[in-house]
Amino acid sequence: MDLRNRRARGPAPSLLAAALAATLLVAGCSPVQPRQAVEDRPDVTDVLADGAELQQGGELAMGLSAEPDVLDPTTSSSLYTRYVMNTICEKLYDIDADNEIVPQLAADLPTVRRGGREVEIPLRDGIRFADGEDFDAAAVQQTLERHLTKDDSARSGEMGPVTDISTPDDRTVVLSYDEPFAPITASLADRAGMIMSPAALDELGDDFGQSPVCVGPFTFVERVPQTSITVEKDPLYYDADEVMLDEITYRIITDANIRAANLRAGEVQVIDTVSPQDISYLRRDDSLGTLQVGSLGYQGVTFNLGNTDGVGQPPGEIDTPLAQDPRLRQAFELSIDREALVNSVFNNEATPACSAISPDTPYATDASNACPEHDPEESLRLLEEAGVETPVEIEMTVSNTPDTLRLAQALQAMVREGGFDIEIAPVEYSTLLDQQDRGDFEALQLGWSGRIDPHGNLFGFVVSEQPDNVAGYSDPQVDELMTRAAQEEGTARRARTYGEAIDVLREDLPIVYLYRVTSLTAYSREVTNISTYADGVVRLGRAAYLADPDDVADAAGEGE
Amino acid sequence: MGRYLGIRALQSVVTLVLSSIVVFLGVRALPGDPARALAGEEATPETLAAIRADLGLDDPLPQQYLAFLGQLVRGDLGTSVRTGQPVTELLAATLPVTLWLSLGALLVAIVVGIGAGVAAAVYRGRWPEWLANGFTLVALSVPSFWLGILAILYLAVGLGWFPASGFVPLREDPLRWAYHLVLPSVVLGTALAAVVMRQTRASMITALSTDYVRTARAKGMPRGKVLTRFALRNSLIVVVTIVGLQLGGLISGAVVTERIFGLPGFGKLTLDSVFTRDYPVIQAVVVVVTAAYVVINLAVDVLYSVINPRIRVGGSQA
Amino acid sequence: MTSTPVDPPVGGPPPPPETPKDGASGLGSRRGRVVRELVRNPLGLVGGGLLLLVVLVALLAPLITGYSPTQVDFDLPFQKPLTVGYPLGTDDLGRDVWSRIAYGARASLVVGLIAVGLAVAVGTPLGLAAGWWGWLDALVSRLTDLMLAFPFLVLAVGLAAINGASLTGAAVALGISQVPTMVRVVRAETIRVKELEFVTAARSLDASAPRILVQHVLPNTASTIIVQATVIMPVAVIGEAILSFLGLGIQPPTPSLGIMLSDAQQYIFRAPSAAIFPGVAIAVICLGFNLFGDALRDALDPTSRR
Repeated sequence: MDLRNRRARGPAPSLLAAALAATLLVAGCSPVQPRQAVEDRPDVTDVLADGAELQQGGELAMGLSAEPDVLDPTTSSSLYTRYVMNTICEKLYDIDADNEIVPQLAADLPTVRRGGREVEIPLRDGIRFADGEDFDAAAVQQTLERHLTKDDSARSGEMGPVTDISTPDDRTVVLSYDEPFAPITASLADRAGMIMSPAALDELGDDFGQSPVCVGPFTFVERVPQTSITVEKDPLYYDADEVMLDEITYRIITDANIRAANLRAGEVQVIDTVSPQDISYLRRDDSLGTLQVGSLGYQGVTFNLGNTDGVGQPPGEIDTPLAQDPRLRQAFELSIDREALVNSVFNNEATPACSAISPDTPYATDASNACPEHDPEESLRLLEEAGVETPVEIEMTVSNTPDTLRLAQALQAMVREGGFDIEIAPVEYSTLLDQQDRGDFEALQLGWSGRIDPHGNLFGFVVSEQPDNVAGYSDPQVDELMTRAAQEEGTARRARTYGEAIDVLREDLPIVYLYRVTSLTAYSREVTNISTYADGVVRLGRAAYLADPDDVADAAGEGE
Repeated sequence: MGRYLGIRALQSVVTLVLSSIVVFLGVRALPGDPARALAGEEATPETLAAIRADLGLDDPLPQQYLAFLGQLVRGDLGTSVRTGQPVTELLAATLPVTLWLSLGALLVAIVVGIGAGVAAAVYRGRWPEWLANGFTLVALSVPSFWLGILAILYLAVGLGWFPASGFVPLREDPLRWAYHLVLPSVVLGTALAAVVMRQTRASMITALSTDYVRTARAKGMPRGKVLTRFALRNSLIVVVTIVGLQLGGLISGAVVTERIFGLPGFGKLTLDSVFTRDYPVIQAVVVVVTAAYVVINLAVDVLYSVINPRIRVGGSQA
Repeated sequence: MTSTPVDPPVGGPPPPPETPKDGASGLGSRRGRVVRELVRNPLGLVGGGLLLLVVLVALLAPLITGYSPTQVDFDLPFQKPLTVGYPLGTDDLGRDVWSRIAYGARASLVVGLIAVGLAVAVGTPLGLAAGWWGWLDALVSRLTDLMLAFPFLVLAVGLAAINGASLTGAAVALGISQVPTMVRVVRAETIRVKELEFVTAARSLDASAPRILVQHVLPNTASTIIVQATVIMPVAVIGEAILSFLGLGIQPPTPSLGIMLSDAQQYIFRAPSAAIFPGVAIAVICLGFNLFGDALRDALDPTSRR
């Protein structure tokens, strides 16, 4: 006992002493290091072999950032499920690096007739499912009908108001509509376009997701809950000779920095959703490469304008200046410096967003790309004009993930100058969804993963009484324009109509768009032929190990 | 003895039933429903209704509870709302991870704790005691998850001695299985080692000062023999009790360790299920944890009453 | 069973002192002896000194820091420790880490105090009642069994889901988790004190049970309660860190040591020092309580000295 005082000066107190010494040295040692200038990085969507020799065979592990939900194209609602489905379930259509829709299992883009009320899809020939079944019009019809009729289908909305699905011959499928539905092609380039084996559907029914069978370079082997999903090469695949790997294991690793550590340790060869904080660190590693591509989705702040009785219900009256007077919301937008936000919170690995339409898609117009400059003084002027006292207090509900909380705190600090005082209300994700549905919020930080067709990014969110119209926004002109845009033919015409709607939305601002995340993928340079496009999905169907170690070295040499 | 065990078993059952009621009502009191959490950003009113109906969430509460209880008795824990997999399968996949981790931590705690405790008791007032006591205090003052972060930062990524995360099943590769478990076990076991050390040291000191040990020493029995035959064996009883009681805390401590080291264990399942309102999984998790706690305590009680028959019936362990 | 919330950081409740104590009359002289013992114990002094330091930092935070803990400076993120004006550097949003630690210590202490208060306020009466009335004992014991068996994190997440993340919410969850041990400790003490001479004497004088409990039993369990409180404090401080780490702690931008750790883990490769300092701060607080608590226990109960 008497001698115990010695051990009290263990590691912790000595560290404390160091910390205290440090605080006393307010004079300090090193000068302040200002933020480094940021560089703009162009999208890098693929890493390709470029003629280098590939190794036949091999097993690849990918670190997946979230656990997929059920592996059933009809009922799946997790975006991460698409990462796995990408190698086992091909779609009628796909998107390419330029966000154009291209045929995959379909032979060509659809032919549209009767003013858009009939959509004819030609199918490719000579394709077999992983279980040996023929891929034909009947199979496509069975899948699409399942999307429409299965009671827990998450696809029925994406399919639009289909009245009939017919098969004039075994290589043609025709969808009939009462009203034209232009976004259907884009839907078929997503999960709705994944065609399931009829035999497997008949056998497994609701349990299809336990052992999915489709057309794809790989076929499902096993799933270990919370741990991994394994797929192996499908010898029946139509392009089987282009598939190099024997097996891919998707390992679920939810923490970003642990995913990165695993990549560096060589335990996995590819990881998705690299944290913007880790990416510069990974870029410095010569044995690793990175892909980056802007996403189609957005993050923004949604204001509650009339969501009093629950989302999808007729809007009610909310008696606050923020909900009543668009000038307040305009002022809010003016007080946000999107560049600085993206720069500080995301290390510049994101792009400012000012509308729901990504500038990288064919639907972008001057109207959708326009962006108000950061102008806190104008914000204060608008607030004065509106006759409200500053600072205007806003309670902003956010989810409690570290990234979102950092964003919220940056936003909070930023809008102060423009006359706003944000109170952050962090809740966990399920509660957030609940509050959003019930309309129990003043402002909400929300994001949307994004769809290739603008319809999927706008219609449900801003048209009166739609299921995702969390703001409770309602404007007859926007309703009319949105409905028209979904029925018109031709990209340019539709883009123009969406632009008109966006002009109206920009005045009313039910949603202030903030930024678009950049999908960051990192890979080991031992592997190649990996792509990721704006839908964020990492495509591993043709991935391969480089056969020659020298090529690996060359690939590393190409790095920064 | 038989009567005592009977009473304890009955009490355990009461605890289990109470806990199942609490969790059943508790999850339903949470804001947000599993249908909504499941449907995520793509919820349509129709999907929600279908999922709710499928889960029986529209039935009256007592009916839902009875259905849950009925399933439970049949050993059927239902189906996960989120992944569509049977809950028993989820448990079968995640429980071994947590058990291995807990056993690893226990091993660390027993080896380090008993070793340090014996050293501290034998070398009283000399450096082994100061070292052991210093270790105990620091180990009890440092949050284990911070220890985990530091371990990953310096030992795994910095020096590359250990894998930063992940789990390899035993049957797949025993070597890598052990290798992956080292760091998490040490991190989880540190605080417990401190507890075990304190107990060992205290009971060793008591044992060493008892008459029979003195007598044995006086009769010329070698020191090592005295230590192992009398003192250590005696103090082991106390240690076993402590360890048994700490096992429950160990399993819940695993939650954070699993999260940091990316281990696909029971703790992670617990958190995920609560966050996504996966009712069947939350219910199963709570029932399993309660049952484990109750069984462990019962076992400790039985062990204790075997060792020390004078124990009184009725009073729960103090 | 020790009821540690998430990890088992502490060695469970201290064994109730075995020495028979005098009645309430002996308190005065005992207090003097306890203080003397405490002062003579160097470890206790170190612990007390650490606590004093932590409390001073927390109380004087506005005076000893150069910046507000929530002041964001987008131009100065990730300053290294020992930078002019930022002794411990800045975090990802350019906030002063030293300032956040000082205010974070405040939050940690508040959480600890609320948790201790709750555990004492709920646990003491339950423990007294269970120890005194046999018929209540079974009921209370089942209740504490239930609370011990119920996974703490499920409870904490549940509370956070209902109320949103907040300082009080975290403190309440931690306090509730500590109630059962408090009940058990007080119950055991009550059962012991109940058989002491002066209590049986009071009973034979027809004094009412609540009166005996408050006048005679409670003062004799006080030292046990105080020692248990010093055990709960570090558990609550670490518990706050864990809850914040899981996103269930304090509402931002209020700094808390746990939130700082959780944030720092996001950019740990970029700025490892940001993860070191809050952890050290937590360790210092807990070390203070553990040292002081040990010394206090020794002082209150000479026979437990080793």
